[in-house]
Amino acid sequence: MPPRGENLGFLAKLLAAQLTAGRIKLWRRVFFGALLLVAALSLVIPNHHPHFGYDKYPLFWTIFGLGVGLAMVLTVKKIIQPVIKKSEDYYGDL
Amino acid sequence: MATSSFFHPSVAFLMMAVILPFLPGNRRWKWLLLLPPLAAIYAAFNNPVGDHLSLQWLGQTLKLGHVDKLSSIFAQVFAIMSLAGLIFSLHVNDKGQHVAALLYVAGGFGCLLAGDYLSLFAFWELMSLGSTFLVMLNRTRESVLAAFRYFLYHTIGGLLLLAGVLLRYRLTNSFDFGPIASSGATIADWLILSGFCVNAAVVPLHAWLPDAYPRGTVTGSVFMCAFTTKTAVYVLARAFPGWEILAIAGTIMAIYGVLFASMENNARKILSYHIVSQVGYMVAGIGVGVAMTLNGAAAHAYAHILYKGLLFMGAGAVLYATGTQRLDELGGLAARLPWVMVFYMVAALSISGMPLFNGFVSKTMTIAGAAESGWFWVALGLELAAVGTFISVGLKLPYFAFWGGKPTDWQRPLKPIPANMYAGMAILAILCLAQGVYPDILYRYLVFQEAVHEFHPWTSWNVIQALNLLGFSGLAFYVLRKVIAPHKALNLDFDLFYRLIGRMALFFVCRPLAFFDNIWTNVWNAVGLRILKALGRLTNVFDKKVIDLIVDGSARDVKRVGQLGALIQNGRLQQYLGLATFIALVILAIVWYC
Repeated sequence: MPPRGENLGFLAKLLAAQLTAGRIKLWRRVFFGALLLVAALSLVIPNHHPHFGYDKYPLFWTIFGLGVGLAMVLTVKKIIQPVIKKSEDYYGDL
Repeated sequence: MATSSFFHPSVAFLMMAVILPFLPGNRRWKWLLLLPPLAAIYAAFNNPVGDHLSLQWLGQTLKLGHVDKLSSIFAQVFAIMSLAGLIFSLHVNDKGQHVAALLYVAGGFGCLLAGDYLSLFAFWELMSLGSTFLVMLNRTRESVLAAFRYFLYHTIGGLLLLAGVLLRYRLTNSFDFGPIASSGATIADWLILSGFCVNAAVVPLHAWLPDAYPRGTVTGSVFMCAFTTKTAVYVLARAFPGWEILAIAGTIMAIYGVLFASMENNARKILSYHIVSQVGYMVAGIGVGVAMTLNGAAAHAYAHILYKGLLFMGAGAVLYATGTQRLDELGGLAARLPWVMVFYMVAALSISGMPLFNGFVSKTMTIAGAAESGWFWVALGLELAAVGTFISVGLKLPYFAFWGGKPTDWQRPLKPIPANMYAGMAILAILCLAQGVYPDILYRYLVFQEAVHEFHPWTSWNVIQALNLLGFSGLAFYVLRKVIAPHKALNLDFDLFYRLIGRMALFFVCRPLAFFDNIWTNVWNAVGLRILKALGRLTNVFDKKVIDLIVDGSARDVKRVGQLGALIQNGRLQQYLGLATFIALVILAIVWYC
C-alpha cells in the first residue's frame, strides 16, 4: 500500500490497481484473446504483395514472430551470453 | 550572417554557447536557451534551397550553407529535437553542460549544411568535442574514463576522414561534397567512407557507442543519441547512396544490435545497442539506394530521432529518480512513475513499428523498398531485427523497469522529476503519435516524392502483418520472460580489441620508442651539450656586454609568457579541448569579418 498521506494521481491509482491476482489473470486473457483475433484476421485478409515467397501462406508472420522470438532469446541467453559474459568491472572502469 | 532570408542555425547555437558563461547567475538565463532551437526551427522550415554563405579561406571556397531537400529534412528534425532536448535539460544549473550541448548541436547543423569537405570536417570535429564534454561532465570516474576513450576513438575516425578528404583533393582537385559513384572508387573514397562509418557505428566500428552513451549525463545522452549517428547517416546518404556494401553492413548492424540489447542489464546500454540496430535500417536503405529505400532511410532517421530521444529521456528519468539504470535493481515502479512509463511506452511502441506510432510508417518503407528491389535477405534480416527490437526495447526494458513481476515498490525513495523533463517527453510523444497517425506530415518532406506515392503504410494487410509479428514475438517474450531476466554482467564486445590495440600502441611508445629516446638523450648529453655550452659562454659575454644594455626588460616578458605557457600545459584534456574550441572560434570570427 502507498505510504499514508501520499496523494496519488488517477493514472498511478489505475496502474497500482492492476497488480491484484484477478486483474493479472484478466489482462492475460485479454492478451491471448487479442493474439487469437489478429491470427484469425490474418487468415481472412489477403496479402496482395508477398515479398518473400513463403509470406503468401496464411499465418507466416504469426509463426515468424513466435519462432524468431523464441530462437533469438534462447540463442542469446543460452549460447552467446555464457561465452562472452564477464564480471561487471572486468575492465576496471567502475 | 544571413543572405536573402537564409539563416544558419549553427550561428544561434554558437552565439549562445559564447555568451552563456558570462550571463549572471540568477538562473533566468535558462529561458534564453530556448532561443537557438526556436531560431533553428524557423530556419529549417524556411531556408531557401541553394548555396549560401561562401567563405574564402586559404585559397579555398568554404560553402557553409548548402540547402537542399535532403539537408532540409534532417535540419527540421535536428531543430525539433534540440528544442525538446533543451526543454528536458532546463533544470540543469551546470552551464558547462549547456555549453557542451550547444556546441555539439551547432556542429550537427554545420555538418548538415556543409557544401564542401573542409567545412564538414571542421563541424564534424566540433561535434566530437561537444559530445566528449557531455560524457565527461557526468563527473564520475567511470564517465571521465569513457569520455577519454570516446574522444580518442573519434579523433581516429576524424583522422580517417581528413586523410580521405586530402587524398581526394590531390586526385580530383576539389573539396566538393556530393555523391560518389561506387564503380571506380579510390582509396580516398574508402577512407572517407570509413570515417563516416565510425560515427554511424557500423559494426565492428560501433563499440564506442554503447561504451559512452550510458555514461553520459542524463540530459547529455538525450542529445548524443539523436545527433552523432544521424549526422553520419546524412553524410552517407549524400555521398554514398547505392554502395552495396552498406546494404550488407546495415543488415548486420540491425541484427547485431538487437542480439546485444537482448542480454544487457543497463537500460541506457540496451537503448545504445538499439541505436546501432536502428541506424542499421538507415544504412541498409542507403546501401540499397533506390528512391523508396533512400526515402525510407531519411524518414526512419526523422522518426528515430524523435522516439530515440524519448526513450533516452524515459530511461534517463528513471535513472534521475531512482539513481540506478540497472534493470535487476528496478521493478515495481509503474505506479510510482506512471507518466514516465506512459511516455516511455509511446517511444517503445514507436521503435517497434506498432501501428499508430511513427516507426510503423518509416521502418516498413525501407523493408518494402529493399524487398521490391530484389534485396531479399536484407529485407528478411530487417524483419528479423524488428522482432528482437520489440522483445528487448518494447517489452524487456519496460517490463523489468516498471513491473518485473514485483509488487509496487512504495518504499523506494524517488527524487521528484522536474516538470520540464515531463514537458520534453510530452512534446516528443505527441510527435511520435502524430507522425504515426498522419504519415503525410513526415512524407511530404521526403526527397523523392514520386516514390512516396508508391508506398502506403496504412493498408489492412500491413496492419495485420505488424500486429501478428509483434503480438507473437510478445508471446515469445511471455514464454521466456524468466530466461531473458537481466543480471549484472559485462558482455564482451569489439571494444576488447580496441583496448588491446590501444595497449599495444602504448607499449610501442613506452618500450622501443623510449629506448631510442634514451640513446638520443645520451648522445645529446655527450656531444650536443658541450657544443651548446661553449656557444653559451660566447653568447654570455656578448649578452653581458651588449644585450643587457639594450633589452633587459624583454627577459621579464619572456619569463611571464613562459609562466603562462606552463599554466596552460597542465595535462588536463578538458582544458586543452576547451582552449582549442575557443581558438578555433576566434579564428573563424577573424576569417569571417576580415
